[in-house]
Amino acid sequence: MEFLSWHKHCVTLLGDDIRQERFFVDKPKYQNLRRSILTSMILIPLVTLILILGFGYYFFISSLQSSTIATVKRIVSDHRHMIDAFLMNRKANLDFVLNSYRYDDLTDPEILAGILSRLQKESSAFVDLGVFDSQGIHVNYQGPYKLAGKDYGGSPWFKEVMQKGTYISDVFLGFRRIPHFVIALKREKDGKAWVIRSTIDTHIFNDLVEKVRIGKTGEAYLLNADGIFQTERRSGGNLLERDPESISKPALHSGIKTSIQENAKGESYLYAATWLREKNWLLVVRQAKEDAFKALYTASYVLALITLLGGAAIIGLALVLTNRIIRRMEWMDAEKEELGGQLIRASRLAELGEMSTGFAHEINNPLQIMKSEETMMNVLLEELKEKGELKSSPTLTELEDSMSQIDLQINRCAQITQAILKFGRQGDPVFQKVNLQEFIPEVTAMVKKKADVHGILLSQEIDGNTPAIEGDPGQLQQVLLNLYNNAMDAILSRHGVEGGKLVVGAGLRGDGKVAIFVRDNGSGINPENQKKIFSPFFTTKPVGKGTGLGLSVCYGIIGKMGGFIEVKSETDTGTTFTIVLPSFEGDGSDD
Amino acid sequence: MEPMKIMLVDDEERFLSTTKKLLLKKGLEVLTAASGPEALELLRTHNIHVVILDVKMPGMDGMETLKAIKHTYPLVEVIMLTGHATVESAIDGLKSGAMDYLMKPADMEDLIGKAEEAFEKRQRIEERIRMAQMRKTMKSPREILKEEV
Repeated sequence: MEFLSWHKHCVTLLGDDIRQERFFVDKPKYQNLRRSILTSMILIPLVTLILILGFGYYFFISSLQSSTIATVKRIVSDHRHMIDAFLMNRKANLDFVLNSYRYDDLTDPEILAGILSRLQKESSAFVDLGVFDSQGIHVNYQGPYKLAGKDYGGSPWFKEVMQKGTYISDVFLGFRRIPHFVIALKREKDGKAWVIRSTIDTHIFNDLVEKVRIGKTGEAYLLNADGIFQTERRSGGNLLERDPESISKPALHSGIKTSIQENAKGESYLYAATWLREKNWLLVVRQAKEDAFKALYTASYVLALITLLGGAAIIGLALVLTNRIIRRMEWMDAEKEELGGQLIRASRLAELGEMSTGFAHEINNPLQIMKSEETMMNVLLEELKEKGELKSSPTLTELEDSMSQIDLQINRCAQITQAILKFGRQGDPVFQKVNLQEFIPEVTAMVKKKADVHGILLSQEIDGNTPAIEGDPGQLQQVLLNLYNNAMDAILSRHGVEGGKLVVGAGLRGDGKVAIFVRDNGSGINPENQKKIFSPFFTTKPVGKGTGLGLSVCYGIIGKMGGFIEVKSETDTGTTFTIVLPSFEGDGSDD
Repeated sequence: MEPMKIMLVDDEERFLSTTKKLLLKKGLEVLTAASGPEALELLRTHNIHVVILDVKMPGMDGMETLKAIKHTYPLVEVIMLTGHATVESAIDGLKSGAMDYLMKPADMEDLIGKAEEAFEKRQRIEERIRMAQMRKTMKSPREILKEEV
């Protein structure tokens, strides 16, 4: 029988414990669910985020790299053109001189001086001008040095110019420690050959090259075929020293080659290099990789930060949401289960009620006959005694005792069947408005005398704002009296006839419902029994003292009024029963 | 004054016989009927003052029998004997004209007590009827009805 109710009461009274227990049972199921929700909630946005960032990063880097490289290339190309043009123009100037004057004119110092001054008007880069015969004898010279008459027949440059017709030297430091280079051209006429040579100040293309600035570290410089600096390098590298870094050179006349190389110090540079057309000099533009791709590194850091923060946000959010979803689902499942259980229990209880009323009713008929027979026997005994046919004897006394015991037991049976019939009664209560502020004191007054007799202090704590309820006053009275009687029994078993306290109270709850409580300081109910107290036929009272139906009847009555009963109890401290009922909702004027 | 004539109606044979003996010993006149129709038949042939009527009987049940009795013999007082301790069935009985109800298993003293109350009531009513008839001041439909009884 207990299984019918204990579960129900566990759920209503100790609902949270039961739910937790149920969670424990279903844990693997929820864990799997949790895992799959969490996985998809993290993976989908995270993969999307990473893909977006990854693609963005890739395209950003590509375009940045290509634009950076293009800039460097353009600078190399522009400057090569300018230097080439400078060299070509100087060569053309000298070529013009060579072709405009006869050898005899050129050997005339005055004419040569005139030519030099005209050349210097053309370009301030011309420092001097010299004329050589085919043997390499410096036959005429105009310029700051005393070079006339010297024999250059064995010099490599003279051999080269005689052979190829044109020569441009590498840069060298002249006597005044100023960087120069020379251009020499040969002319042949009527089996005679001569050469003019001019020293060119490099400051003009030094300016061109050395003034190149890209970002913080971008610079340009010239190297000759052997890797000797032909211009100063801003980041270190003096004129005519060897470039400590050997860069990968493009093939001659093959355009621009870009590369990224690391120097001995571990610094990476982006290089763009190209050979000049007019001279085997390598024009190099380089920029520290860190500088060239600075935006790229910044972007990388920002992206990494976004990925980290975004990832953390996604994971955090997923965790929070998943927990919330799971908790909600667990709650809903528990709710569903509880509802299902309640329906089953309710229908079982209804069946039980019907069955037991049937039994009780049928048992009442034989009880009635037994009662009649017992009365009859008593009457007959009296008659026999009156007639003197039965003399008083111990046997007769025993017989009479047995008879009274039968009467007692029939009455006991009758009590049980009546309690069952009350419990299983099918009729619906007659609802009407019940003003608790008047009703509770009335009912309490009924037990006042009993409380006084047992030395129980009876007090009432009824709030002035306690609303009326809608219910069957008779049934509500039955419930209250039942609770009072139970409370007084509990008090008596703990305190005897001194020190008992019984408080009845009522008030408005936060949710607009009415709570009526009956609190005692009696012996309390242990947790095990608390689960069973509303079950039919559960009683802790001695045999014959209680049917175990009182509280289950109360439970049914309050349930029909749309409320519920709760119990809170602690052994040897006391018990509080709380009845919660919906407040009356009819219009206020109606009494 | 004539003694109370009481009729027990119940489908339990043994209850009828034992209770009859008991009531006879108390000096009452007792008739018994095991069913509703039998009770109505006895009422037709006997002047019965009080009927103790079981609510639950096979065939014609207590409530039907009660209605039939009150319809035909309004002066007969009926006490319902119910095995069902609900207020509702008692109220239904009282609404249909029963004077009182007893819950099974009922004490014999209670039974006799209630029967005597019912008999007294019946006698008071008959007394008033007699007085009214004697005065002949006015004839109400009810009195005409009672004359026909």
